[in-house]
Amino acid sequence: MTRWQTARRPLAALSFAAVLASPQVLRAQAIAANDEVPRTADGKPDLSGVWIATGAVLLFEGEEAYAAARAADEAAGRALPPNEPPPYKPEAEARRQEHLARQGIDDPMARCLLTGVPRIQFRPLPFEIVQLPDRTIILYEIHHAFRIIPTDGRPHPPDMEPTYLGESIGRWEGDTFVVDVRGFNDKTWLQGVGTVHSEALRVTERYTRDSFDTIVYEATMEDPVVFTKPWTLREIFRLRPDERIREYECIESNEDLVRFEELLQSGDEAFRAR
Amino acid sequence: MRRYLMLAAVAGMLGAGTASGHHSFAAIFDGERPLKLSGKVADVEWTNPHIHFSIDVEGDDGAVTRWRFEGYPPNMLVRQGWQRDVTLKPGDAITVEGWHARTEPNLGAARRVTLADGRTLAAGPPAGTGGR
Repeated sequence: MTRWQTARRPLAALSFAAVLASPQVLRAQAIAANDEVPRTADGKPDLSGVWIATGAVLLFEGEEAYAAARAADEAAGRALPPNEPPPYKPEAEARRQEHLARQGIDDPMARCLLTGVPRIQFRPLPFEIVQLPDRTIILYEIHHAFRIIPTDGRPHPPDMEPTYLGESIGRWEGDTFVVDVRGFNDKTWLQGVGTVHSEALRVTERYTRDSFDTIVYEATMEDPVVFTKPWTLREIFRLRPDERIREYECIESNEDLVRFEELLQSGDEAFRAR
Repeated sequence: MRRYLMLAAVAGMLGAGTASGHHSFAAIFDGERPLKLSGKVADVEWTNPHIHFSIDVEGDDGAVTRWRFEGYPPNMLVRQGWQRDVTLKPGDAITVEGWHARTEPNLGAARRVTLADGRTLAAGPPAGTGGR
């Protein structure tokens, strides 16, 4: 952490930003107002560190810590609007409802398959961001997955084949790290039971470190095969400087595989929503 | 008011869609059938992606029933202060709160465990509905 630098921004930018209330400007304002956002040698906010989604605070630290975290976000002006359900076309919505009725028994993650983007960002397990001059790396505890995100100006690779995590290319828009993810297969859920998608999926992620302790995260999913319009989800990531990425082995004692098979063979009544 | 805020916060979390753990809770367990059982620890499986442990529960008639529970993976338990071979040991008298499995008898999802020394530790995720 000692390598992190701090930088102060002109107060003039702050007062000007106060006039304009778009989310981007508000985030920029928050950064301007907080001189504790660490920066790399090239002046970009440094996203490096171990982070976890605020939703996970409930699981790790309990109801009070979770409520305190959300209250702190409210006080800091970074409270998120409620997430909307996926804007599915009728056929995709019917598939989602069927998965819901089947109580999520078809969840690819329960079979230890790689969790896709953006769902992997919402998991209740921490991830570490390593920001380098020419690429940013995200190391996930879940699945021991990783994403290498080039930031040297290269385009998406020409030989992309559909994958669970897709291919990521990053760039900076002001103080926001923007990641363009393409090349997905259609075997993952976006976020929540039955949130299906096609191989036409394209995800644009926006990471804005608006304070020392927080990153405001926004993922916009575009998929003309399943959506009537883009779907956006948001979350706040919280720094966990004393935490480390630990081992997570998914298949060792995954009894779900056996249970699912038994339930599926015993008939719909065993697992369908009553 | 405080309680209301807490519930609202939890509801907000569910809306945000951060699911409980590794799998869909609702496919296996029934969030509408809570349970609370006391007994002696029979065995502990410190494995991924879930730990399992069993307790022997003595009924009013003296008959002993072995219940098996599923909980968080080791990495999540360690973050909350659990230690393998220390926190739960065979013979320990504990109380488990959680939920019944949908179909498998004497299987449950553990939410919290109260140890013999009075400490209560989170052992697994909150109940899910399948809608997350």
